Amino acid sequence: MLHRMSRSEEVPVYNRIAQARAARGLSRQGLAEAVGVHYQTIGYLERGEYSPSLSLALRIARVLGQDVQALFSVEPFATPDQETP
Amino acid sequence: MNPPRKPRRFFWLEGVTRHEVERSLHDTSPTRLRQQGPRRVLVLLAALVMAALALSIFITHNKVGTYTEFGLMFTSLLLYFRLRKAVRHVSDAPNELLDERQIAMRDAGHTVAYRLLSVLCVVYVLLILLVGPEGRLHPHVRDGFWVPMAWSYMMCCASLPAMVLAWRMPSELQDEQD
Repeated sequence: MLHRMSRSEEVPVYNRIAQARAARGLSRQGLAEAVGVHYQTIGYLERGEYSPSLSLALRIARVLGQDVQALFSVEPFATPDQETP
Repeated sequence: MNPPRKPRRFFWLEGVTRHEVERSLHDTSPTRLRQQGPRRVLVLLAALVMAALALSIFITHNKVGTYTEFGLMFTSLLLYFRLRKAVRHVSDAPNELLDERQIAMRDAGHTVAYRLLSVLCVVYVLLILLVGPEGRLHPHVRDGFWVPMAWSYMMCCASLPAMVLAWRMPSELQDEQD
């Protein structure tokens, strides 16, 4: 399916790219240029409609200054409400 | 050191230039073809024109048949270029101009197009059997019927990957660069 091009449909990959990008004040275009992809691909990643290759995930993590585990997970990330007791 | 990039480099196998693909990929001007609905209308129109071209062999009046044939051949060519533009040339671009998502999207489109083309191949073979010199419908077709049929099949081969992508790609979102 083209509108959902996850590498594994059964195991979705969740990410926090949008939050990390916003925290660094980067636009999608800026992040896309830094990691060498099209700006739409960043949109697809942020919406969870595409799961990146390991290489792309590592490049994104490096540009956003975070560990790849902090950005990507096969478990949904806790929302801010859930993190605070 | 990387070799110098040739902006006008023509990719012979894919039939695109580096410039046209890059311009198309980074085109942010609003157009109706960024929406799935109008793109699907374009796909249907291209399919209709190619089918009409194949069936134009049944127009036995020579002058009318020839004009119709040339009109449809020209239209199918125009629609082919429009389809390529509608999918930002992703269907024809080489790997080096696309990112991994676009390559995955292009390859998925080509796989579906290949399957559809095998079905179309059977349809064309059956049609040729019917209208060929030994066929039952041969008296009802013009001389030189193979020209529009061959053109129609050739356009199907060329256009199907772009048609599949144009049909399946979701509408593009506004302001996605921000």
